[in-house]
This record gives sequence, structure tokens and C-alpha cells, in this order.
Amino acid sequence: MRRRFSLPALTVAAVLGSLFVAASPAFAHGYISSPPSRQANCASGAVANCGDIVYEPQSVEAPKGSTQCNGGGSRFTVLTDNSRNWPAASVGQTVTFNWVLTARHSTATWEYFIGNTLLASFNDGGAQPGATKSHTVSMRGFSGRQTVLARWNIADTVNAFYSCVDLNIGGGSTPAPTPTVTASPTPTATPTTPPPTSGSTTWAAGTTYQPGDVVTYAGRSYRCRQTHTALNGWEPPNVPALWTAL
Amino acid sequence: MTFLGNRGGPVRRAALAGLLILLAAAGCSAPAEKAPETTAVNSVPAVNEVDIMFLQMGLAQIAEGQELVTLASARAGDPQIRAIADELHGQWASESGTMERWLLGWAKPVTADPSAGAHAGHGDLHALRDTDRRELAAAQGADFDRTLISLLLGNLHNGMETLRMESGSGSYPPARKLATRMIETRQAQIQRLLRLAAGG
Repeated sequence: MRRRFSLPALTVAAVLGSLFVAASPAFAHGYISSPPSRQANCASGAVANCGDIVYEPQSVEAPKGSTQCNGGGSRFTVLTDNSRNWPAASVGQTVTFNWVLTARHSTATWEYFIGNTLLASFNDGGAQPGATKSHTVSMRGFSGRQTVLARWNIADTVNAFYSCVDLNIGGGSTPAPTPTVTASPTPTATPTTPPPTSGSTTWAAGTTYQPGDVVTYAGRSYRCRQTHTALNGWEPPNVPALWTAL
Repeated sequence: MTFLGNRGGPVRRAALAGLLILLAAAGCSAPAEKAPETTAVNSVPAVNEVDIMFLQMGLAQIAEGQELVTLASARAGDPQIRAIADELHGQWASESGTMERWLLGWAKPVTADPSAGAHAGHGDLHALRDTDRRELAAAQGADFDRTLISLLLGNLHNGMETLRMESGSGSYPPARKLATRMIETRQAQIQRLLRLAAGG
């Protein structure tokens, strides 16, 4: 029986070697768990219908240098979909980002961006991370709803791991928009609302607004102060950080 | 590559019977229900290399997970963490018992052969290191909870990759079934841990 069930050792080695390429291409490697990144919000169920990312939030790996939330390319494109109403964590002017790591790669740098602005870079000089990894980053100059892109640049490969974290940055003189105004955050069922035109339209949850956009709400007009995707509870009179009454 | 031979009628049946008896003796009744499948005309291997790898790697990952939840049950400040830890401890004990019995039944080692090379230069990146154990042991209060959640999520995500490999490419039906069930259970626990992480 033993003979019948045993494989030549060489075959086992060859097969196992190839399986790591074929059956499990990912085996990767890290993401931001708090404040929750987009892939963390997918994995936790806070955002539905994300696809396979829910089983491997640590796998957003792509060549270095991308500014996309999925690192570019065609995998995990849900992460770049701004119509998903990603929950934004309310934070102050400094934010501590905590990572979950499933492989402790030698690390070149950890970088944090908002748009093209590099907020912070931490150089690990090729060291392996410890049991946990956290960085405290200043949000100076930014307020309201923002998306932080974090890049974990691996020292001994061409790749980086990407995490986007949606934040509502408070502090300073501008009050943060408070998405908790309504007791039950009801994700809008129509994320395909067309972007507002230059003229005045009626405010609608699920719409992405740009600074300067003018909307009407309850008979009054408001001008958008910063880019955001509107949620229920963020009606213009509720969030002066986002809307100026005209 | 086939574990149970190709068309060896009586010999194969005898071997199968031996295997089933062995498994039954070990307290595992699931395979008996699946016995008819192995008599299919096209010889589909009842067990493949993915099954073996799933069981061996899965056992190693569970062993590391058990280290973490044992500490969590004793030291975590947040009762929700302790509840998840206790739950995992019981489920893993039962699952790993089944997984070990399968390997023993097939005369396979319960740990992967380190000389096989599958992990060369890489697998150790996914393992719990002594420095991680010391960091966790030294952490106090909220810091302990945060470190524990981070390490446990890392362990569960690594385990999830092994489980998904088995449910997608494994051959032995009871092992695939076990992996599928474990994916559901673990994903729900990951969701709870992520919500705790987001709140902290």
C-alpha cells in the first residue's frame, strides 16, 4: 500500500514547484487594514460585489510607479471604480496607517500620496518588516474627502503592493463631512448617475462632484467646494465642508 | 501520477478497501460515501498532489494559527477577539485531526518535505518568525490586540490561499469539501477581524 501511494521524490518536487507557478500565482503579500483600504472594505463586506479581491486583499501587486488603486493593469479594477461609494474614514490631521502582511519582503520604501502630492516616504533600506507595520502620516494641506494611495515598494523585485484608503480629513478650520448623519448608511442603488453638467442640477447621492459644480437642493443652490462622491446624509446643507450656499 | 493505479481491478479494489478501512478506523466516515466515484471507467485520480500540498501546508498554517489564538484567548483585552480565538481554536483542532488522518491513511508525512524546494527562498516569508512571536509576547494592552489582529489576519489570508488552491484544483472530494467549508468559515472570521481592525 505504501508503495502504491508514493510518488518518486523528484516528481513531487517538480510538481510542487510548478504548482506554485500554476495553481497559486498570488501568494502575496500586504494591504492597509486601518483605516480600511478599499480592498479591506471589500474583504470585510462593507462594500459588496468586489469579486475575488475579497479572498486576497493582500494581492494587489503590480510593477512599481503606478498611481492607480489597483496598480494599473486589468486585475482588481473594482478598486479604481470611484462610483462604488467607498466608505471614507473620519480622521484628523495625522493618520496612522496599519498594514496586514502575509509575506515579509525586503522593503525599499513605503510611500503615501494624495493625487500627485507625496505626503510621506519611509525608507527601510532593504530590511524585512517586523510583526506589524504602521506609519503615521500628516495630512497637512488636505481636508474633506480624499483618497490616499499607499505603495509598498519591494526591494528585491520590480513590484509594489498598492492600497487606496478613502478618508474624510477633519481638523483645522473646516469641519469634516459627517457621513454618520443618517442612522443607516444606505448605499445608493444607482451609481451610474451621470456626472453633473456645468449648469445647475439637482443634488443626488452617488454622483461625483467637482469643485465649482452647482446643484440645487430643497430650493437652494450650492457650489461644490471639493471633489467627492455624494452619499445619503451628505446633503449640501449638512456638510458645509463640501458645499457653499449661494 | 495516479495514486490508485489505472485499471487494476481486484488489486485496486483491495487497496481501496484497505484505505477505507484505515480511514474508517481512524474515525473518518466521509470517504465511504464517496467510494463509488473511484470505480469510474475513466481513471480519475482520487487524490492528487494539490490535495497532499493542501493538507501539509494547511496543517503548518493551522499550527501557527493555533499559537496565535492560544495567546489571544489568554491575553486579548477585547472580548470579541477572545471569542474569535476560541472559535478558531476548536474548529482548527477538529479540522487538523481530519487532515492528519487523511495523510496518515495515504502514508504521507504530515509535514512537507523541506527538501522538495517548493518554498525555496520564499515560503519562509509567509511563516511566523521568532521575532514576530517575541514582538507579540512583549506587546501590552491595545498594542497586543492590534498586533494580534494583524498577525492573525496574515495567517488567515495565507491559509485562505491554500484553501482556495484546494477547492479549485484538489481532487479528493472530501478534502475539497472540507476546504470549501473552511473558506466560508474563515472568510466570516476575517470579516469580523477586519471590522475590529477598522474600529481600532
